[in-house]
Amino acid sequence: MTRQTLGLAWRLFRHETRRGELTIILLAIVLSVASVLSLSLFSERLQQALTDKSAEFIAADRVLYADKPVDPEWIEYAQGLGLNTAHQVSARSMAFSNEQMDLVDLRAADAGYPLKGTLKTSEEPFSVGTATKLLPEDGQAWVESQLFQTLGLNIGDQIEVGDASFVVSRVLTEVPDAGFSVFGGDPKVLIPRQNLAATNIEGPGSRVGYRYFFTGAKADLDNYYKWLKPQLDRELHDWDSVEDDNSAIGRSVGRAGQYFLLASLLAIVLAAVSIAVAAQRYSLRHYDPVAIMKTLGAPKAMVQQIYLLQIIFITTLGIVLGSAIGFVIQHLVVSAIASEVNVAIDGWHWRPLLIAIFTGAVCAILFSLYPLLKLFSVSPLRVLRRDLGANLASRLIQFLASGGAVFILMWAYSQNLKVSAILFVSGIALVLGLLAVTYGLIRLGRKLAQGKMSAWQLAWARIHRRAMDNSVQLISFAVTIMLLLVVLVMRNDMVKQWQEQLPEGTPNYFLVNISQAQQPQLAQHFAENQVQINKFYPIVRGRFAAINGEKIRTSVSKEDDEDNRNTRNGLGREANLTWSNTLQNGTVVTDGVWFGDNPLADDDQRPYQVSVEKRLVERLDIKMGDVLTFNIGSEVIETEVTSLRDVNWQSLQPNFFFVIEPRALRNFTPTYISSFGLPPERKSDVTQLMRPFANVTLIDVDARLNQLRSIVEQVSLAVEFILVLVLVAGALVLIAQVQASMDERQQELAILRTLGAKGSLIRASVIYEFVIIGVVAGVMAALSNELSLLMLQTQIFQMQASLHLEYWLIAPVAGAAVVGTLGALGCWRLLSLNTSHLLRQMV
Amino acid sequence: MIKTKAITKTVSTTQGELQILQPISFDVKEGESVAIIGASGSGKSTLLSLLAGLDSVTEGEIYLDDQAMHNMDEEQRAQLRGAKVGFIFQSFMLVQSLTAIENIMLPAEIAGHKDAKQKALDILQQVGLAHRANHYPNQLSGGEQQRVAIARAFISRPKILFADEPTGNLDAVNSDKIEKLLFDLNETANTTLVLVTHDNTLANQCQRQLHMQAGVLTEVTEKLTKPSLAMEAS
Repeated sequence: MTRQTLGLAWRLFRHETRRGELTIILLAIVLSVASVLSLSLFSERLQQALTDKSAEFIAADRVLYADKPVDPEWIEYAQGLGLNTAHQVSARSMAFSNEQMDLVDLRAADAGYPLKGTLKTSEEPFSVGTATKLLPEDGQAWVESQLFQTLGLNIGDQIEVGDASFVVSRVLTEVPDAGFSVFGGDPKVLIPRQNLAATNIEGPGSRVGYRYFFTGAKADLDNYYKWLKPQLDRELHDWDSVEDDNSAIGRSVGRAGQYFLLASLLAIVLAAVSIAVAAQRYSLRHYDPVAIMKTLGAPKAMVQQIYLLQIIFITTLGIVLGSAIGFVIQHLVVSAIASEVNVAIDGWHWRPLLIAIFTGAVCAILFSLYPLLKLFSVSPLRVLRRDLGANLASRLIQFLASGGAVFILMWAYSQNLKVSAILFVSGIALVLGLLAVTYGLIRLGRKLAQGKMSAWQLAWARIHRRAMDNSVQLISFAVTIMLLLVVLVMRNDMVKQWQEQLPEGTPNYFLVNISQAQQPQLAQHFAENQVQINKFYPIVRGRFAAINGEKIRTSVSKEDDEDNRNTRNGLGREANLTWSNTLQNGTVVTDGVWFGDNPLADDDQRPYQVSVEKRLVERLDIKMGDVLTFNIGSEVIETEVTSLRDVNWQSLQPNFFFVIEPRALRNFTPTYISSFGLPPERKSDVTQLMRPFANVTLIDVDARLNQLRSIVEQVSLAVEFILVLVLVAGALVLIAQVQASMDERQQELAILRTLGAKGSLIRASVIYEFVIIGVVAGVMAALSNELSLLMLQTQIFQMQASLHLEYWLIAPVAGAAVVGTLGALGCWRLLSLNTSHLLRQMV
Repeated sequence: MIKTKAITKTVSTTQGELQILQPISFDVKEGESVAIIGASGSGKSTLLSLLAGLDSVTEGEIYLDDQAMHNMDEEQRAQLRGAKVGFIFQSFMLVQSLTAIENIMLPAEIAGHKDAKQKALDILQQVGLAHRANHYPNQLSGGEQQRVAIARAFISRPKILFADEPTGNLDAVNSDKIEKLLFDLNETANTTLVLVTHDNTLANQCQRQLHMQAGVLTEVTEKLTKPSLAMEAS
């Protein structure tokens, strides 16, 4: 390459940039780089924050659960790798005090626990706790509020667990790895691990669990697991990490991650489309300069170098500007939400920057390849014959280059060949389908609009004349609107489904063990204190004894061992049985018939009917028609499984494994459970509120609720930020499209004007043209939106599929409004020029 | 300077092959000025494109400064154009994104001349547009644009200059100015000039006129003489 070539290329680039010729391409590159960088940087930081947050729920990055103490060498090896470790032993045991007793969840932890998250304690039961880095001192115990109530404890009292006695020194208000089950957990008692031996509760037949916590760099943790895995026994050990967290939080984080991926991919595709459109226009506008240069003797290689250099210059400029803007945007967003979300601002991640640069380069080069090749093929003869265009007939290169670019980006982003291939192939099928339908629509529209010359007819004629080009343009609009809809609807659905889990007024306190006589008194007392109390559920405690006459001891104990520790572990020896003819809110019968719909007479001789929770059915291998035996006090009742229920455990409503026909339990005396919500400012009222009902157990789930809420808020916020970026990308495509058709429009307008067409007719026809394109694009978008969402929700996001009828109206209306406005604005300057000016500009 | 031997041009159309130039033979001497005239569609622009090496002949031989253009590919012809040919067009064909001075520098830069800018400034002075050096084409009048185009054509001191309707887009006053400038520069530089025009005044200033009709060279008229020789279209 000669100095002259470089100089010429640079000069052309400078002028073109100053004259705004390269603005759209530059903006598209800047946008794609900025959005990729800010999104992935933000997402990386947010993911990190969310993973950290999730890690708090297991109190570490990784946890090894064991039924027996593990070889000390395992822990030493971990420490040798530089990992932090902590150890906790948990056991269910009876606690005694003030001549009362209660089953407790005893936790004996050593220094270091919790490795992630914080313990919170307070001086008063049911009050707001403060974080502490300490553990109970030797001979002391920290006890949850609930136990203060059931055992009538005060700070400083003695509590006996096993053979040891402890001084209750603080109220334990929050334990990071408490889990989210409301009734599953017995009140926790935290003691120092060195005091565990004195209790003598470890031993043959005891139900003791050992937890080993690890934190450290991901690579070290992975190496450790690689070393440890062959030594683990599936029956005894369970390895848990934040990544495979299957809890509500884990799934929310996972979904958000996928959403980030999808949204940023769509933003890139949109930006890339605008690059392609803008590059096409750029290429067209440079047919003359290329012909001139060739005429003046420029060799082909020189012309190629000049224009490749332009692309390199613009790409470099775009990447630099985009990176700077992207960094600033994410920094602003992170700073703005820093008070609400604990996202680290410091720290630099190289991967997002590399991906952003890669994206900018791939988009710019591959999407401008075909227009450039066309440009290079322009004949010098064009200087004499202005109608001569480019000689490159095959569009195969265009499809290969842009298709390849999209695929490379998808792959680089998802790092999953299969997902990329599925998305890519279905994308192509969608575009081809849309193309066929659109082409048909255009032809049909032209037929319908035949008649006397009107603005509408002029508009249809214009669309029809360039049917294939317009189809492509229309597809771009449709795909843009569709992608925007997909991202918008996904966001709405996702946030809605999250929020449905925690609606306003979600109860933050549960009441257990309310006697029949207390029920009306309690209701009245709460009403007098302006506290809304929820429905009372009757409960009979029963022992689940047999399936089809076969005792279930073995299968139950096995089930307990492998129980997912983060969900229900309430089905130990006793189960809460309730009866009702009405199905609970949020519960769906998945198999059989709900007995409330098919009530049997009281004297019917058939077995009582029971409805069982679906996951329990899977775990205990229960089938429809099985006979389940329960022991309630000294009575034995037999029930037949007539329905299976899918229960939303995340609803934080009282939920039950077994719901039995009312006639079966009518003769037993139940206790009741209920729940109520109390705003934070009234938290101190709770003791006063509960004073008359000393025997009623109060369970405080506020801390767990707040944990869930903060995650939902963080994720929703991030999702909204991404939506804005995708919207900007979409608008850019639309503007690029309108810009691209400007030259041809100018010529046509000049001719129409010269022939005496009225300004109002021309203006109306241009607006109608865009409105028609917008409406058709909107309809196509609504259709493909529905199909894509169906696929995404069911195949990728594991959400419930839903119809979005409102978008069938919104999309065409919004399409007409947005495309019409952008089109009119884009052409306004042109429409307001007078005829001679128009003609002069054509030369 | 130019020698053609029975050159033809045939193009493919949907209705089959179409011969747009019947075999044509003539010579242009060095320093001579020749006008190609004829009605629209007579083939004069096609002839110009072949003479200037912008397009290739279908049959026959064509020599430009003794180099056999009919054997050259597009790259070789481009090289030859860059070295020996200058162009002026009806629609000026200036690069819109370059300033006047940069447009003039373009051929010199393509040819790799190091003093392109100085040469451009000198010639811009000669065409009387030194004060417009940094204006873009759309900031110049039609006449000014054509003067820039003429300056661009002369910067690399071409041996032969091709002009396609150089005054076709100009009013009478500007046409006169451009004609004068063109012929003055041509004379000073002793350049061979071949132009296509409808403008009789302009054609009459040339030493020879080639008349084209339906792809056939019908006659050759010498300046200030009656039609003397009917050039056969062999």
